[in-house]
Amino acid sequence: MRWRVWAGGLAQRALLAAGLVLSVVLRFSSAFGGALPCDVPDELMQVDDKLPHLAERLRAEQPVRIIAIGGASTTGLAAGSSDLAYPHRLQEILTRWYPSSSITVVNRGVPRQTARQMLERFPTDVIPEDPVLVIWETGTTDAVRGVGVDDFAATLQAGIDELKAHDIDIMLVDLQFSHSTTTVIDFEQYLNALHRVGDVNDVNVFPRFEMMRYWSEQNVFNFDGVAKDERASLAAKVYECIAGKLADAVRVALR
Amino acid sequence: LPASSRDLRLDFFRGLALIFIFIDHIPENILSFFTIQAVEFFDAAEVFIFISGYTAALVYGQTLVSQGTLYATARILGRAWQLYVAHIFLFVMFIAEVSYTVTTFNNPMYNDEMRVGDFLDQPHVAIVKALLLQFQPTFLDILPLYILLLVIFPVVLLGLRSRPLIVLLPSFMLYLIVQATNLSVPAYPEGHVWYFNPLAWQFVFIAGAALGFPWRHERRWSRWARPVLPLALMVVAAGFIIKLSWTIHGIWDPFPGLLLKELWPVNKNNLSPIRVIPFFAAVAVVAIAVPPNAAVLRSLAAKPLVLCGQQSLEIFCLGILLSALGHFVLSEYDSAIGIQLLVNLAGILVMCLTARMLDWYKTMGRMQAGFAAARSSAGNRLGK
Repeated sequence: MRWRVWAGGLAQRALLAAGLVLSVVLRFSSAFGGALPCDVPDELMQVDDKLPHLAERLRAEQPVRIIAIGGASTTGLAAGSSDLAYPHRLQEILTRWYPSSSITVVNRGVPRQTARQMLERFPTDVIPEDPVLVIWETGTTDAVRGVGVDDFAATLQAGIDELKAHDIDIMLVDLQFSHSTTTVIDFEQYLNALHRVGDVNDVNVFPRFEMMRYWSEQNVFNFDGVAKDERASLAAKVYECIAGKLADAVRVALR
Repeated sequence: LPASSRDLRLDFFRGLALIFIFIDHIPENILSFFTIQAVEFFDAAEVFIFISGYTAALVYGQTLVSQGTLYATARILGRAWQLYVAHIFLFVMFIAEVSYTVTTFNNPMYNDEMRVGDFLDQPHVAIVKALLLQFQPTFLDILPLYILLLVIFPVVLLGLRSRPLIVLLPSFMLYLIVQATNLSVPAYPEGHVWYFNPLAWQFVFIAGAALGFPWRHERRWSRWARPVLPLALMVVAAGFIIKLSWTIHGIWDPFPGLLLKELWPVNKNNLSPIRVIPFFAAVAVVAIAVPPNAAVLRSLAAKPLVLCGQQSLEIFCLGILLSALGHFVLSEYDSAIGIQLLVNLAGILVMCLTARMLDWYKTMGRMQAGFAAARSSAGNRLGK
């Protein structure tokens, strides 16, 4: 993980000038064409593990139920509406790609929850819904609150065990990136723990942190100096990009 | 202690541990691939706590023998107070940094999560909890452990003086109970525990103290270490190979992490046996391989580390502040490898120079005291 971070950092800096030009061009084009500059380096789109149960359901053209459990960025509060949050966007994209199955992505985000609090919601909010895939977005609150990283890893492991016991596919989504928070909070150990849990359990981890960092460094999305009323629409755009990349990752995992 | 009889290994390895703690506390630091935690299951924390226990027994054991229980207790508690003040100082610096960042923060994607900053919601509670050592922000968690261990240390010393086993046995039993039951010490905010569980980590400190206590008839611990040397070497080598494979696996995915699925995660809060066994094996290996006055320890190259180890409290606190500063510089401006190396180098240089300056200052202080004593005894003689 850290190597990827580091190698990614190198590549970014090598391409910084080009990237700046590119982002200006993309901004220009987005002003006219409405396209989003969501691109990320290829190494962030590496997907190693399959989603067998989801693949089977889609092949049989049966209905698909996906649960998105997570914190504030799953609810989509910053964008102003849950229709603008990533789970709803993801449902739109997957429905377009797999029209033969009826696909529902249920938003089970609750702001300011640690991984442990989310795990406690599994018996009520996740398992009874009979999902075929659970997207678990977690770690940010744990890092902000300074939950012990050993406990954090143990919680993730317990959650993965529970979902696997119910034959549910899993996709983990790692922490949010923000430039000014990284200076006061040590996210690295939580990122490392989350990625290693994914590694030892053969579960994909969606590298949201590195993607958001990339966008921030490329100045694609920058919240500094943005007027208050424009911040929500900027957040909505970030969520839309996340949903697009997540959909791409799901598609790769289904191959 | 007179310089000649001082065991330089203690100073050297404690100095090294302090440098490693500084490096490891800077997130995403390239140099952290070259510290002990990258190649062994234990890290600088065990080294620091073990040597602190060893030197505490050595120094206060002598006080106990020559100046009595009461004075030894007073000196130990005086030291604990010093550590407490240093900890509160670090805490205030930390709060200043975080408060500034959080209150000037305006990223809507994070506002909901940052609002949990408990100390800004309830500063009056948070500060009292910090004074009670129950609120321990990240990286401010090892001094509370050290303080607590010193507070109980007078009792430990008295026990050690009569029989090492009446201290070592309960200490080991407590460690085993923690391993079996996950017993932990609650902290603030609700649901948190002490990061370094004192009920488990006390074992490393007390084991160090048992080895460091100045017995009247010197116990030859190294005589015990020699027969287990082959086994200890094997444990250290196995730990090295496995942990290195994990580190490489973390950098480059196709490289296999040996026994990763079986052994990971290795619990640090409760000091998992997977950490503590290789650590004691490494202690045995180092105790035999490096004699107390090895030429390498007296060399010019080792001098900066030895000095850092001798001024451990000040250098530890400085290291914590410097890694926060280094982290700030790297994340705020540029984290290219060249800059990372520069930040590390600058930090280590500042630590070593400060240690040198403190050494000079304290030596001058001792000389001053020596002059004053000589003058007053001369005055006494003249008066007679």
